[in-house]
Amino acid sequence: MNLSVPNIVILIVIGLLGVGTYALLTVRNLIKVVVALQIMVKAAMLALVLAGRLQGQENLGQSLALTVIVADTIVAVVGLALAVQVRRVVGTLDLSALTTLRR
Amino acid sequence: MLHLVTAVGILVCAIQAIRSRRLIVSALWLAGTSALVALELYLLGAPEIGVIELSVGAGLVTVLFVFAINLTGEEAADLKGLIKEPLAVVMSVLAIVLLGVLLVPGIDRAGPSVGEPALKVVLWGNRQMDVFLQAVLVFCGVLGVLGLLSERESTPAEHSLSEDGE
Amino acid sequence: MAMTWLTLTIGLPWLGALVIWLAGDRDEKFTHLLAVAFSVAAGVAALLLLPYGKERLVYSLPMGGVFGDFTFVVDGLGVFLAAIATVVGSLAVIFSVDYMHGEGQLPRYYAFVLFFIGGMAGLVLTSNLLLMFFFWEITALCSYALISFHNDDPKAVAGGIKALIITQLGGIGLLAGALLLYAYTGSNDFHVLLENPAILPAGVLAWMGFGCLIAAAAKSAQFPFQTWLPDAMEAPTPISALIHAATMVNAGVYLLARFYPAFAGVPGWREAVMIVGMLSALLAAVMAMVATDLKRVLAYSTISQLGFMVYAVGAGGVFASQFHLLSHSVFKALLFLAAGAVIHSVGTRDMRRMGGLGKDMPVTRAVFVIGGLALAGIPIFNGFWSKELILEAGLHENPLWLYALMVFVAGLTAFYTVRMISMVFYGEAHPERHVHDAGNAMKVALLPLAIGSLTTWLLAGPFGHLLAESLPAHHLEVHSTLAVVEEVITAPATYLALGVVALGWLAGWQRRRLSRVGQALSGVGKAAAESFGFEAINRGVVNATQKLAEALRVTQPGLLNWNVFAIVCAFLILLASLAVGGR
Repeated sequence: MNLSVPNIVILIVIGLLGVGTYALLTVRNLIKVVVALQIMVKAAMLALVLAGRLQGQENLGQSLALTVIVADTIVAVVGLALAVQVRRVVGTLDLSALTTLRR
Repeated sequence: MLHLVTAVGILVCAIQAIRSRRLIVSALWLAGTSALVALELYLLGAPEIGVIELSVGAGLVTVLFVFAINLTGEEAADLKGLIKEPLAVVMSVLAIVLLGVLLVPGIDRAGPSVGEPALKVVLWGNRQMDVFLQAVLVFCGVLGVLGLLSERESTPAEHSLSEDGE
Repeated sequence: MAMTWLTLTIGLPWLGALVIWLAGDRDEKFTHLLAVAFSVAAGVAALLLLPYGKERLVYSLPMGGVFGDFTFVVDGLGVFLAAIATVVGSLAVIFSVDYMHGEGQLPRYYAFVLFFIGGMAGLVLTSNLLLMFFFWEITALCSYALISFHNDDPKAVAGGIKALIITQLGGIGLLAGALLLYAYTGSNDFHVLLENPAILPAGVLAWMGFGCLIAAAAKSAQFPFQTWLPDAMEAPTPISALIHAATMVNAGVYLLARFYPAFAGVPGWREAVMIVGMLSALLAAVMAMVATDLKRVLAYSTISQLGFMVYAVGAGGVFASQFHLLSHSVFKALLFLAAGAVIHSVGTRDMRRMGGLGKDMPVTRAVFVIGGLALAGIPIFNGFWSKELILEAGLHENPLWLYALMVFVAGLTAFYTVRMISMVFYGEAHPERHVHDAGNAMKVALLPLAIGSLTTWLLAGPFGHLLAESLPAHHLEVHSTLAVVEEVITAPATYLALGVVALGWLAGWQRRRLSRVGQALSGVGKAAAESFGFEAINRGVVNATQKLAEALRVTQPGLLNWNVFAIVCAFLILLASLAVGGR
């Protein structure tokens, strides 16, 4: 396997996805969850730009990546606001304490 | 070569962001990841997206993180996960291996370049709906945050929630 | 210019909904005023749009290469239904000024009413199937929110959820249709399909046709989905008028009429549509004969009359069905609003506790009787002409036994109408009651509808031309009003139907003397009161779903880590299957 540019980028994408998956499986702090989501979204962004490049439709890939950035920022903003509110109401950021919807 | 260095940098930053115990450090490592991803985007020939990622991802989002961490207070983040560590490792490694097997071979062939309009034409013309929905999304996000961060305590839903929580 | 009216017809109610919502719960009078102003303005815009219907104008909003254009078509069917939705809707809003006087949370009420009206106008004016699905779901959402408006009443909430779930089932059919259309033609515009149904393979077309029938049956409360409409009676009465006459239930009939050219050739489709219509009309009419809740009788009569319209579409009488839709929305809005005035004044919906109200509420009685005569199909009233046209369409190369049953249902209609009127307005009065006649805003809403019930049949000719000229794919044959009148008067079938109606009327009037027949048929009556077991089936389905959900609760620990674990597992299975065989 030669280390061409697409190969390197796809390795970054896979690596970021792996790290993000591991984090979502183990992390219990709400703010850490947002961090993990951010990492996974970066992978999606890179993958879109790479796919556009490989398909010869760079601009389409880039405009989709832009959409991802916007969506990702909103996710971060709302996620953090939720974390702040959870901390204020429940008193902790621990996910396993959030069981009020369960009977 | 630069690609390779960036790649290693991105992965190290990401792993550190997950591993570090303190939230604030975690947020800073995330900012590093974001900045290096922006560099990689620039290297890939997407400077506009790279700049936006740098300013929004590494700048704005980090500020938000610091702000949120200040509000919630630093909390010891070393609680044991609900899933056993080895199981989580196995699952992630499996995901990485399978993705690698599927994606890496054949990624090298460059597709034929189809004559394509400029970025702004694609963005404002062909993906009009996306732009429109982005505006709606931003609007909803702002509304949601305003609702969440409002200081009022008296709405019945919130009140009962706090009673249940304590 | 038409573009402006089109935008205003859909946009004004939505803008109004937003403004009322933002204005909040400050001043009751101001809220009423805003709602009336916006709904009336939308009604005016829709009426101004009517003349453009003949020209069949097309407006496209480009939405980029992926989604295709969002197309709006101003044609006869669309403008006519948009006009009904906005005009009858605005009358319901005017009526609400009196009916909802002093109620809390008015902004929520009016915002949803206006959102509903705008959604319905959009639904009938677009020609993009995906956008249509979008509007379709908006009407479902609004109907849920309004049926459950009194959200502290468990019955209202249950009724709303029932309506939502059943109409969602129909929505799935529509969505599947949109996806199939897109898969085979590369666009969501259904006019391509209407002009040339052969672009889809026969099998796919059949799937779409029957999916469309299920969607329409769920929305228009037709057999076997009719159970949600009676439960929707928990809503405030103007909402019942809105759902029954102006918006919601018309959507199903509209869908069938709109797609008639595409599916008429599918083997068995027309027969299926006719049978669904006949069964709904028959079962609902029998249930209306034994119900004692005034609003339920009206609800069953709606199902029954919608059955007539569905039957007409299946029989090929698209014009007759739409003409009956026009008549029905006028007289049923009248009946509901008049019933609302009665209920508002008496404070109960039980007809056994009414009786003798005619003396105290002369205006309400007068308009209610006019609506009732139109419903029963008595000559001169609009319901007569449109119902005769439907029955006549049923005679054209269609099964005779279906026709016979429909005529029989027309007789039953007369029976339950008389029963309802006499139980409410005639007979012995309850002495200790203090009732008052309809308020001024109520009268403002009732009078135009009463006049409409007497006169809308005069529009048969212009209305027919409007439809025929703008719907080339439907191949409608229409005549002037005079010719329609002549056709109805000279047809022998009319007198047969009239005879049956008269018999039903007589039987309803003299129903005490028929008590022996009634006892003989008490089994049928009991079955009808139990809605022929459909409620039991409903309950069974609900119970089974709940048990299943309880059993599956174990899989939902509500902990993020485990949820992600399940997602990753599914993802790994997907990847593994791709790695093994998918390449």
